[in-house]
Amino acid sequence: MDYDVIIIGAGPAGLSAAGVLKDDKRVLVIDEYYHHGGRLLGQLYEESRGNWWNGMEIADELYGGLEGKVEFSLGTSVYNAEREGSLFTIYTDKGNFTARCLVAATGSKENSSPLPGWELPGVMTVGAAQVLTNFHRVAPGEAGVIIGINPLSMVIAMELGYADVEVKKICLPAANDINTATPKDALETLMGLSRSAPSKFLAFAGGVGRRLTLLHGPVLNFFPSGGVRTLGLPISIKERVVRINGTDQVESVTTIKTRADGSVIEGTEQEIVCDFVCISDGLSPVNEITSLFNLKHVYLESLGGYVPLHSEKMETEIEGLYVAGNITGIENAKVAMLQGEMAAHRILGDEAASEDTLRKINEERKNAKVKFHEDLDAGREKLQLYWLAK
Amino acid sequence: MTRRILDHKILGPRKNKIVPFKWNGETYYGAEGESITAALLANDVRTLRHHERDGAPRGLYCNIGHCSECRVTVDGAQNVRACLTPVRKDMEIRRQGALPHLVKGGGDDGL
Ligand SMILES: Cc1cc2nc3c(=O)[nH]c(=O)nc-3n(C[C@H](O)[C@H](O)[C@H](O)COP(=O)(O)OP(=O)(O)OC[C@H]3O[C@@H](n4cnc5c(N)ncnc54)[C@H](O)[C@@H]3O)c2cc1C
Repeated sequence: MDYDVIIIGAGPAGLSAAGVLKDDKRVLVIDEYYHHGGRLLGQLYEESRGNWWNGMEIADELYGGLEGKVEFSLGTSVYNAEREGSLFTIYTDKGNFTARCLVAATGSKENSSPLPGWELPGVMTVGAAQVLTNFHRVAPGEAGVIIGINPLSMVIAMELGYADVEVKKICLPAANDINTATPKDALETLMGLSRSAPSKFLAFAGGVGRRLTLLHGPVLNFFPSGGVRTLGLPISIKERVVRINGTDQVESVTTIKTRADGSVIEGTEQEIVCDFVCISDGLSPVNEITSLFNLKHVYLESLGGYVPLHSEKMETEIEGLYVAGNITGIENAKVAMLQGEMAAHRILGDEAASEDTLRKINEERKNAKVKFHEDLDAGREKLQLYWLAK
Repeated sequence: MTRRILDHKILGPRKNKIVPFKWNGETYYGAEGESITAALLANDVRTLRHHERDGAPRGLYCNIGHCSECRVTVDGAQNVRACLTPVRKDMEIRRQGALPHLVKGGGDDGL
């Protein structure tokens, strides 16, 4: 056996798990990215007045405590995992490793709304723009259009603004079999944000939704078809991008106005010149590694998709296999960190610390500044029922 | 045009160590340790490959290793994800192009 514990994923969940284990276990952390931090890299927003969440700093803090105590294999992709007897074998492009315990902390990925022209260079996910702008510090372009209205796209639109990258429009994708979001969904998102508003901007964006809803029953009818401009961000919930134009790269997008119910108003096409486009359709768990085991996965929309069946203490049906972070459902980085700690406490058999961490997780969920789905709590409860009934 | 964000309202200034690398045989400059996708974008290069079947231009998409749209040839190794690979001094990076025959299902259009 090479290690006591192998952790796949050096994001907030994996790094936090390693932090708890570092003095007692021989630990290997594997990540295919060349830098520690996972999706913390790029995160930047104002949690409360003057109080910034800087994911890059958090990643360095988490990593700093591990140096010399935990082994890292970055730039290393895991492509298979097996369990024989009580030993896990992890197959990577840099060789194979064995351990008694495995923590799958592989995070989440972005969903995409396919639409004509989306394969052109210059079209990217909002997350790509986030990493480029805040971590690499390279502007994704001069002026862009964001397709998709959800918590992540709103946060990242704001982040582009901090870097003086112009966002010309934030609107919905053309409706098709896959893209089903309606103006009503978008409005609900804006309203949801008002409840958990992490910043002045989101409070404001949310306020727009709330105000309109309170004033008018059929609020969507009154939402300006040209959108509203809040703190410099042009949000347009009754407008859809029907295609992205360009020969060798993005040159513009064509939008069309819609009614409140999302149906298009013919003859309202408009061309918006831009040199990049961000597509954003929410996040879903990266469950490739856990899918390799004989392990039940459950589909829960409020958690972002298929998640491996697990207990609130991050155990799975397979002894020695733990999960933590966004693989268990889409939540913010603080929850991911606590989940990582939880998995580690279970590995160490520390009951008191597990109970304490469970309380902290519930507390953090209650006060979360960034919430990805309104029905998260119901989803978590359902999952717990599945676990108890397994 | 793309640009480097050398000063940032919240994050402050950034100093990079600039290193030369080769893109399709020509010398370019990137910041040591940044991904190949970032280094090329900072040089205004958006087309990272041409599609294997129809030669259509493709660029980075997710930038974090999931989509594989950004694959390039690095020091002779094909299909390396540019977003996961830090640029290093004198690295030789090449764009991949359309393949002469795609054996895939065997229909007339190569699909
Ligand atoms: C694009 C994007 C942007 C986000 N922005 C925000 C935000 O602004 N605010 C917020 O609160 N939340 C954000 N999130 C949610 C985010 O997932 C959580 O905040 C948090 O980072 C989750 O932590 P994690 O440790 O579970 O996973 P991650 O941080 O995603 O880390 C998982 C790591 O696992 C690695 N990995 C996965 N599979 C393999 C494999 N097979 N082999 C090797 N390594 C592997 C990945 O490279 C990655 O580094 C974002 C998510 C995404 C996808």
